[in-house]
Parts: sequence; C-alpha cells; structure tokens
Amino acid sequence: MTEPQPQPRATGTQWPRWEVFKQDAPGRPHQAVGSVHAGDPLHALLTARNVFVRRPAAVSLWCVPEGDLLTTTPEELVTTPALLDASGTSGTYHVGVKRTIRRSMTFVDLSGTVNAGGPGDALRQARTLHPDALAWMVFPESAVVRTEEDAGTVDSWFAPARDKTYKQQQYYGVIGRHASELKRAGRMPGRAASEESA
Amino acid sequence: MTATQALTGAQTQALLLKLTVLADDEIILAHRCGEWTGHAPILEEDIALANIAQDELGHAGMYLTLAQSLGGSDPDHVAFWRGPDDYRNTRLVELPKGDWAFTMVRQFLYDTSEALWLEAATSSTYAPLAEIAAKAVREEKFHVQHTALWVERLALGTPESERRTQAALTELWPHAAQLFQPIQGEAELTAAGILPDLNAAHARWTDLVTRHLTQKCGLTLPDAPDTQPGRDTHTPHLAPLLEEMQSVAREHPDAEVW
Repeated sequence: MTEPQPQPRATGTQWPRWEVFKQDAPGRPHQAVGSVHAGDPLHALLTARNVFVRRPAAVSLWCVPEGDLLTTTPEELVTTPALLDASGTSGTYHVGVKRTIRRSMTFVDLSGTVNAGGPGDALRQARTLHPDALAWMVFPESAVVRTEEDAGTVDSWFAPARDKTYKQQQYYGVIGRHASELKRAGRMPGRAASEESA
Repeated sequence: MTATQALTGAQTQALLLKLTVLADDEIILAHRCGEWTGHAPILEEDIALANIAQDELGHAGMYLTLAQSLGGSDPDHVAFWRGPDDYRNTRLVELPKGDWAFTMVRQFLYDTSEALWLEAATSSTYAPLAEIAAKAVREEKFHVQHTALWVERLALGTPESERRTQAALTELWPHAAQLFQPIQGEAELTAAGILPDLNAAHARWTDLVTRHLTQKCGLTLPDAPDTQPGRDTHTPHLAPLLEEMQSVAREHPDAEVW
C-alpha cells in the first residue's frame, strides 16, 4: 500500500478528508460515493467500508486524500481557466466524469486513466475525452489506497453485505397495530370516527 | 453439508445452554455498542459501532433461532423477558461503556475471541452450527481488523490516549478469561465434534492478543485471577442495562411484529 502524504490540516484537531470510490461488481467502474475523515490510509479504508459497504454489495474500495483531487465544471473553467495549468507530479491520472444530475448516491464514475504532466494537464485531457460532461475529477494513481484483493479480505469486507438487502419502509414491523389498520377502523386521532369507534 | 446428526437428549440440553451463553454475550455487548449512537468521537465511528452492534445482534439471532429449533423459547422472548438472574453473559460485556479506549479494548478482546471460536466452529460436525459460524466469522474478522487498528492507534497515539488505553486494559484484562469458561457439558460436546475445543481457542487467543497488545501496541498486561465466578454471577451494571433494553418490549407485551 502506498502511503500518500497526509494533507495539511486546517486545525490540529481535524483528520484529513478522503474521497471514497466504490466498485459494485467486477468490471464496473469505481464510483465516487462520498467521503470519510480518517488519520491514515488503512483507517480510511476500514472507515469507508463501515460507512459505505454495509449494504449493498461491493467488491473494491479506493480512498484518495482530498488534497490530491482536482475537480471542476465547464462553468468554473470559464471563470478560472488557470485550473488547467495546475502543476503537480507527472504520471498516471484517473479520470472521473459526472454525466448526469439524475443519479443519487454517486458523484462521478471513473472512466479510465491518462498519462499527464500534472493535474491540470490531466484535466485538459479529461475535457477533451469527455467534452459533454457536467464535471470532471482527476487524481494521480500514486495517491490511491485500495482494499486488498485476496480472498480473505473480499470475504470479510464485502461478502457479508451481499446477504443484506435494503428494506422498504413499509416492510418494517410496528409495535402493536399498523397505522393503516387503525385508520380503517376510524381510530386515528384527528380523523372522522366511524360509528363503531368510541 | 452432511445431513444433520441427531443429538442425544443430554447433548441437546448442553447445546441449548451454549447457544444461550453465546447469544447473551452478543446481545449485551451490542447494547453497549448501541449506547455510542450519537455520541461516538466522529460520525464515521458512530456508524461503525452501529454496524457492529447490528452484526452482533444478527449473530445472537442466529444462535437463538437454532436454539428455538432445539426446543428453546422464541428469540425475542429470550432477549426481552429474562432478568439479570437468567442472563448468562460474561461480566466483561456488561461493564459500562466507559471512554472510547475502554470500548475499543473491550471490543478487541471480545472480537478476537469470537473470531477464533467461530473459525474453529466452522468445522463443527453439527451442520446448523457450522453454517452459522461460516456466516458470522466473516463479519467478525472485519470487526477484529477495525478494533485492532483502533487499539494500536490509541496505544501509540498521544500520552493521554496511551494512558486511557492502558487503564482500560488494566481494568478489562482480569475479566477476559471468562470468555473461555466452559459450560456444563462442554467437554462432551467437544468430544463429539459438535463444539470446537475451547482450550485450543483460548491458547490461540492468548497468543494473538498478547502479541498485539504488548509487542505491537506496547501495553502491559496486568495479572489476571486464576479462577472466575460463573456466568450466573453479574456486576450491578447488568440490571439497569436490561431495564433499559427491555423497557419497550415490556411496555408492549402483546406486540406482534418487531
């Protein structure tokens, strides 16, 4: 596991923020699902698993420190074109693309990698590759920490979630009688009482 | 899976007791974990502890459902309608939640013991138990990673976190061996291959936690008593815990669905 440099902290009491990328199934793109605060890479991964993979299933998690991410929108590039000149390490960069506002729970889907001279160059290439995107995100491969792919990790981190499904609200039981039953019987407060209810 | 073997009457009674003992530890510790909801040091750990509590309650549910099939009571009834005199959990799990270090050290001692026991129990000749163990051990191994990481960071963190972690270990360690106290009839069930060898699990656990706590975390293990009172002897902390945990059930004795 490569140890990214912890980011400079706003205050001495705050842990850095890590963006969490989740892969739902083999062959699917990693998707940005949110973030966690954690003191170090392993802590970030464990925390991400607790927060984002209790359910539904996943097969892999990546965490990237906040300071290694560069994100922008076409509107921002009009006002702040200097973003395309942001300097940093050269090498492999991951490109994330936001294509729709109609998706809940995820921000960008990772769509592949580019070789770039720095984050600004990676952003430039991302814009060329995906000109219609609503937003782009790039970060260097060297900043990524990943869950292990051995059977033991997959089994203990991800397998349990496969058996846990979301429940619809109405599935949850209630103590005593369900409200709908009371409504039908005209026993709900504030409702017109039927003849048989006192 | 082989066909489920028939148990003798004595084996059934002993296994019922064992399943109750296992479930009681899970239920009580889950409640202590749940007490952190809304109070954990960071939101992420709030979620983590709620997850762990739910996993533990899930394990308890599996144990008690199996117990019910062997003639035990309904799981909800077992959880909510027994008083402190009938609970068979260890004193380790009923102690008040304490600070974050206390919670993490206790979870570490418990999670490691449970993970090792479950791992051994996956080889049980009694198929229903082997199946439960196979399902639960996956979650438990993750719990161990989570709490081992926390204990290490607290022990090697600041002087304050180290002091609290050592204080927690000093208080908890004398209670830990009770997790490996055999129940009546345990030896017979082990001889029949139904239960894993508790002594072997205890030895593996001692080795594992000693290495982590002393070598990796630089903590000191205090002396522990040679013998412990049984699981029917509780601290004064269990009664108020049960009172809170069971209050809703007891207010609605005719509730049909949970």
